[in-house]
Amino acid sequence: MAIYLGGVLGGICGGYLALKTTFAGSAAERGAAVRFWGFRAPFGAWVAIWGAFAMLTSAPFDDWWHSAYGLDVEILSPPHTVLAAGMIAIPVGTMLLALALQNRAAAGEGRALSLAHLYSAGLVLLMVRVMITEYSYPNEQRTALFYQVCCGVFPLLLAAMARSSRLPWAATRMAAFYMLVTCAMVWILPLFPAQPLLGPINTPLDHMVPPSFPLLLVVPALAIDLVLQRREGKRAGWLDAALMGAGFLALLLAAQWLFSAFLLSPASRNWFFAGDNVWDYSSTPGDWQYEFWNQDNPVTLRGLGIALLLAVASTRLGLWWGNWMTRVRR
Amino acid sequence: MGQLDDAGAAVRKRALLPLALLALALAASPARAHVGSPNVFYDGDAGPYPVRVIVRPPAVVPGLAEITVRVKEGEADGVTVQPVQWRAGTKGAPPPDAAQPVPGDPELWSAQLWFMEQSSYSVRVHVKGPAGEGTAQVPVSVVPARILKMDVGMGAVLLGLGVFLFAGALTLVHAAVRESVLAPGEAPDTGRRTRARVVTALAGLFLALLLWGGKGWWDGIDSRAQEAIFKPFGVETAAGFDGGQRVLTLKIEDERSREWTPLMPDHGKLMHMFLVREPGLDAFAHLHPVPQQKKEELRAALPPLPAGTYRVYADVVHESGFPQTLVDTVTLPAAPAAEGARGTLAPDPDDSWRQASPIAKASGPAESPLEGGGTMLWHREPLAANRETTLRFEVRGADGGPVYLEPYMGMLSHAVVTRDDGKVFVHLHPMGSINMAAQQVFTRTAGAGAAAMDHSAHSRHAGHGAPSVVSFPYEFPEPGRYRLWVQVKSGGRVETGVFDAEVASTEPLPE
Repeated sequence: MAIYLGGVLGGICGGYLALKTTFAGSAAERGAAVRFWGFRAPFGAWVAIWGAFAMLTSAPFDDWWHSAYGLDVEILSPPHTVLAAGMIAIPVGTMLLALALQNRAAAGEGRALSLAHLYSAGLVLLMVRVMITEYSYPNEQRTALFYQVCCGVFPLLLAAMARSSRLPWAATRMAAFYMLVTCAMVWILPLFPAQPLLGPINTPLDHMVPPSFPLLLVVPALAIDLVLQRREGKRAGWLDAALMGAGFLALLLAAQWLFSAFLLSPASRNWFFAGDNVWDYSSTPGDWQYEFWNQDNPVTLRGLGIALLLAVASTRLGLWWGNWMTRVRR
Repeated sequence: MGQLDDAGAAVRKRALLPLALLALALAASPARAHVGSPNVFYDGDAGPYPVRVIVRPPAVVPGLAEITVRVKEGEADGVTVQPVQWRAGTKGAPPPDAAQPVPGDPELWSAQLWFMEQSSYSVRVHVKGPAGEGTAQVPVSVVPARILKMDVGMGAVLLGLGVFLFAGALTLVHAAVRESVLAPGEAPDTGRRTRARVVTALAGLFLALLLWGGKGWWDGIDSRAQEAIFKPFGVETAAGFDGGQRVLTLKIEDERSREWTPLMPDHGKLMHMFLVREPGLDAFAHLHPVPQQKKEELRAALPPLPAGTYRVYADVVHESGFPQTLVDTVTLPAAPAAEGARGTLAPDPDDSWRQASPIAKASGPAESPLEGGGTMLWHREPLAANRETTLRFEVRGADGGPVYLEPYMGMLSHAVVTRDDGKVFVHLHPMGSINMAAQQVFTRTAGAGAAAMDHSAHSRHAGHGAPSVVSFPYEFPEPGRYRLWVQVKSGGRVETGVFDAEVASTEPLPE
């Protein structure tokens, strides 16, 4: 319910902006808006409104889905994809509202807005990580699929947001926000007492279960920032995308290959890394929890080649998006 | 469980990876001892309180079961229900859920329970009141049984919302290219407008491709869900002669049988097989085949049934407490003149059979003559689909007086209910449709507070007083023409009453 309340709130704010701009807006406000089916509002407001409708559409769809196929066995299902599209559209819309203001402001102004933009972007990274949970457990991080999925989604967001931010090290900061928020969950959630209300309970629990320790996205995000800084604000193109994509993959591989082994080792079984505290009530304890899974799809040159193509394509899309966002003024 | 551990989904894997190993040794995947009659009925005692429990299991897994508990005598202060999975036991069960009293019916309590895995479960019903407290175990097998089709109204709503979102997304793209990058107050020029249209068209194409991919994804999920719908073990049944004796052989031909727990006896028999002759349902047998050289191959000596095509319903239960009804058809050849004379396969002493007239077009008589000279009376109530009822029968001797009923395989009575088209079949006892062997499995693991019961004594006690009256809790799942065979034992002889019933259609009970 809290998820849908968030959506409704986003939609109401956007809707209020649209009604106010259309019917009671000053000439300046109306001039700084875009037209949408006869109404006028800043572009970001429309994105947020669309997001709210997508979230609300997902509710009856998801309800039907559960009665047709059972309660979610997988996080990534068609109705949840609609929900996620809506959930992501709302912060993206908010970011666009802030970006339009930033882009209209003189250079050097609006540092707080830019930081807020990167913080929201970090939250979008977090949502995307939740959506790909099933492919990104530490136990999955020596499969080709993990690197392909990460390369498909993260460079898009990192490149787009870094390109549109006026702050240096934007991709790295955004990744740091994602990591900090996730770490806060890892450290704080287990402090709350809780009890499983569904069964069978294979792992007895008396506290909330946190998510896995975050991906070390600050490491591959460096590649994006470093290449962007060499462009000095010029429009980024395919060559940059290739460099960023390759750099992202190389650093992600180096970081997660080693870090996943650490997270599965006894050294991580403490409050800080929560290596052994991420298993829910339904998990039957066993060695499998600390082993690498799906070794029938190992990291091979071919698998990495596919991941590289995805990283480059995803970065290029992100740069297009980011280039456009640097120019959004309404 | 095999159908669940295919993809690499880690959430499922969290639960299922260990099960993949366990499944080799255990039978977790459930079937049901019925055909088309999924609801579970239990008449029995929870400590000092006689109760009737009805469990309407979910048709999808994980899913929500509807549970009603009727406390027939005594005042209950509180009723709780708890799902206990056979492998996890009460130790691994979630805390009990409090059932809520149903307004307007002081005896009735209702609750909902989540069943998270397809497996063999027991619903542990606990009743507390001034007379003390007590527990009843109601075994339920939970399996994916169907996929809900989208009705037209819901389809129209979702399609409308989908078109709205699609059009909205294209308008967003159009506005992004056309206006969003212009300085406030600036109007888009012709070039920008044209570009906006072209990009919107391309975005439309891209979105359509995404939707097409999404449809493929959905179709894949749907077909995997279709495959996951529970089907009982495949069997092959054949009738033939063995040294002049008519013999029926049932072979379990299913790969799952090697992975599941072995069969366990129920009422002292590994298999309860029911034969029903098509199309008139005019011949019936209740046999108990036993394994011969191989445990997957069970054989029974055939009683003097007329030749013809018979439906075969074979009830078995696994050591996990998971019951299933194996279904087939078989053609019986005509009996030899001196059947059984040279047979080597001894018939089971508890085998029974009965011939009767073909099923009636409407509800038949409420009185069925028994072969031993007595009669069986059905104290009928109006019957409607999806409505709880008690099927009550009285047995009278040849002199019209009451008779003393003896336990027949540990129960006061057995009843078989089937619809004329064979799409519904269930084997009932006075204590309901629960599987007794399954109940024993859960009672054993539950320990204190749920001691094993002598069901024959209990059933007589709870059989509403008269020693010659038997009753069965049931709810016909579908309207239609039904035939009921009701079996009792008296004077060492198994008697079978035959009744026909027309079940009216009603709206399903509100969920």
